[in-house]
Amino acid sequence: MMRAQFPHIDKVSIRPFVLRSQLYSSVVDRTQVDRELESLRRTKVLRIFKLNTGQDDHAIMFLDDYLNQIERAVKRMEEKNVHDLEVFEWFKIHVIDTRLEPNISHQDLCSLLSLGGKVKDNQISVLINGGVIIRQLIDPSMYWFAIPNVGSMLKGLSQGRKELLSLLSRRRYKEMLLASLEKKRLRLSPLDMRFHLRDLIGSGHLKTIKTPTGLVVRISKE
Amino acid sequence: MWKEIEKRESGRVRPRSFANRVKSSRVASLQLSNHKDIVSPHKGSVNSLQVDLTEGRYLLSGASDASAAVYDVQQPQKLEGGGLIAKHKPIFVIDKQHEHRHKYAISSAIWYPIDTGLFVTGSYDHYIKVWDTNSTQAVMNFKMPGKVYSTSMSSLATSHMLIAAGTEDVQVRLCDIASGAFAHTLSGHRDGVMTVQWSNSSEYVLVTGGCDGAIRFWDIRRAGCFRVLDQSHSQLGRRPPLLERSAMTKGSTSRSSSGGQNMSKATAVSRKSSHGNGAKHSGSNRISAKGSIKHRLHPGMLSSQDRATAHYGAVTGLKISEDGMYLFSAGSDSRLRLWDIESGCNTLVNFETVRLQTNKPIQLSVSEDSALVFVPCMTVVKAFDFWSGKTYFTFRGHYEYVNCCCYSALDQELYTGGNDRQILVWSPFISYEADEGTTRNEDSWSD
Repeated sequence: MMRAQFPHIDKVSIRPFVLRSQLYSSVVDRTQVDRELESLRRTKVLRIFKLNTGQDDHAIMFLDDYLNQIERAVKRMEEKNVHDLEVFEWFKIHVIDTRLEPNISHQDLCSLLSLGGKVKDNQISVLINGGVIIRQLIDPSMYWFAIPNVGSMLKGLSQGRKELLSLLSRRRYKEMLLASLEKKRLRLSPLDMRFHLRDLIGSGHLKTIKTPTGLVVRISKE
Repeated sequence: MWKEIEKRESGRVRPRSFANRVKSSRVASLQLSNHKDIVSPHKGSVNSLQVDLTEGRYLLSGASDASAAVYDVQQPQKLEGGGLIAKHKPIFVIDKQHEHRHKYAISSAIWYPIDTGLFVTGSYDHYIKVWDTNSTQAVMNFKMPGKVYSTSMSSLATSHMLIAAGTEDVQVRLCDIASGAFAHTLSGHRDGVMTVQWSNSSEYVLVTGGCDGAIRFWDIRRAGCFRVLDQSHSQLGRRPPLLERSAMTKGSTSRSSSGGQNMSKATAVSRKSSHGNGAKHSGSNRISAKGSIKHRLHPGMLSSQDRATAHYGAVTGLKISEDGMYLFSAGSDSRLRLWDIESGCNTLVNFETVRLQTNKPIQLSVSEDSALVFVPCMTVVKAFDFWSGKTYFTFRGHYEYVNCCCYSALDQELYTGGNDRQILVWSPFISYEADEGTTRNEDSWSD
């Protein structure tokens, strides 16, 4: 079910990931989606990250893709001659395997990293620079897990959403045929149109209606 | 219908299941009532509605213009429309001319659970007043440290008469009607408390939801809360199975360099199995992290360090199911979650919602036998199936945001109040025959 999503996404420099709202739009029963995600997460096939775009976005990524991504980030940092890179190794071995939630607290992080070796504060800054953990805004001693180098994707995601919604809301009846919508290209986002469509349909901002000429996409009002 | 009654008479259908069948078919046909109307005297948005628990006859409403009114929903004051439409006017109204009035908006109005002689109103003017219904006088006044968001009294209580009040202050206060003073305060939340609910299974258990997103369970006989619901603890079915608990593992001690006296431990909770999908071993870690604090904390207060959140935003509505086993919570992150109270886990039922109101507490309602949950979502009220999360009905009728809804199990009616100052009644559909006075063969031209 989830593998089918991947070929649709062509990435520039990042491994593919799926948003939770896209899964909701593809599968009818949402409770089933939640439960299967939960069980896959527990068996460590995939990881869920909380994104900071919008209300409740979660990105889902296969575990080996995530590890791949970390490798690339590490390589990039090596080129810039940053030291203390073994903290990434410890991170990979100890933290990712044991902590399955999208967030982690400072004590936990230190204690787990110290299983690999002695940890210092600037090593944590190295991790933050590499992009694997991010400080939470609400609570300064907790961190979110994150995907390295995902910034351009997230920007593209939020801008693409805004652009698509404004495109539809400018029309007189706030709707458009799905076929012609798919052919359009978004100016500001590197992700393709079908990605955004599935995401917005799954999160409820758009809805699809069957008409004799095909599917029509309309902005939902509530 | 007559066949059903005949089956019940002859004993082929059990009386209970006959009653349930009739009730659920009535609930399935709920729509904006065409025979009942409540005339609302309020000049501000209706914030709270409650039907009394003893007779199911009187509806109490509290509004933003500091007015509270009581209506008799079974006997109308006036019949209009040729005797077809019943208009229910308020029996009395407490408004700004009253000598004991509230100064600002009333956020919550509840009946005294034992009889309808008293009711309690909590308002944004920091006061909770207890009123005598028959003389409409305020008999008691409690001053709170902040705006009162929500009040609740336990319907099971036999040994206490406490009003639990959630305010914008971080402490939940319990006010005692018998003595007129505060009983005690419960601390643990880190921001204001938006909703409070007493448990349906124990008279000493209180559930509170706060603006910090946490839902805490308190036993009022002890200090501190005994459970905090965490949205990342989830179970895949209705109930965790009774057998096969995975081994409890004690994790590493914390490396806090200040040498604090508290240790952090990670305990693995028993595994859950997905409903009907076969057993699966999994454990979810429960981390109760202690910071590196210098001073020793009372053991009951350790839970204040637990920063688990049930919602990403504030918790705006809480409702316990009738059997007391499940808790339904609504948050300002537009998510509705169903929690299993016994295990404290999130059953991952996904309720399809788009947006919920975020700044005010909303009042949810469950139908009897907990088959449906009624949730006000912006301008409509949606009825969700409890277990599958599908939207069964959408009640559109209000012009502006809906704040509160109350389901009366006796008549299978739903009352909703919103920012448009109206109280709407949704009742099972009754069709009226239109041939009063004219026979079928005549039309309006013939004389």
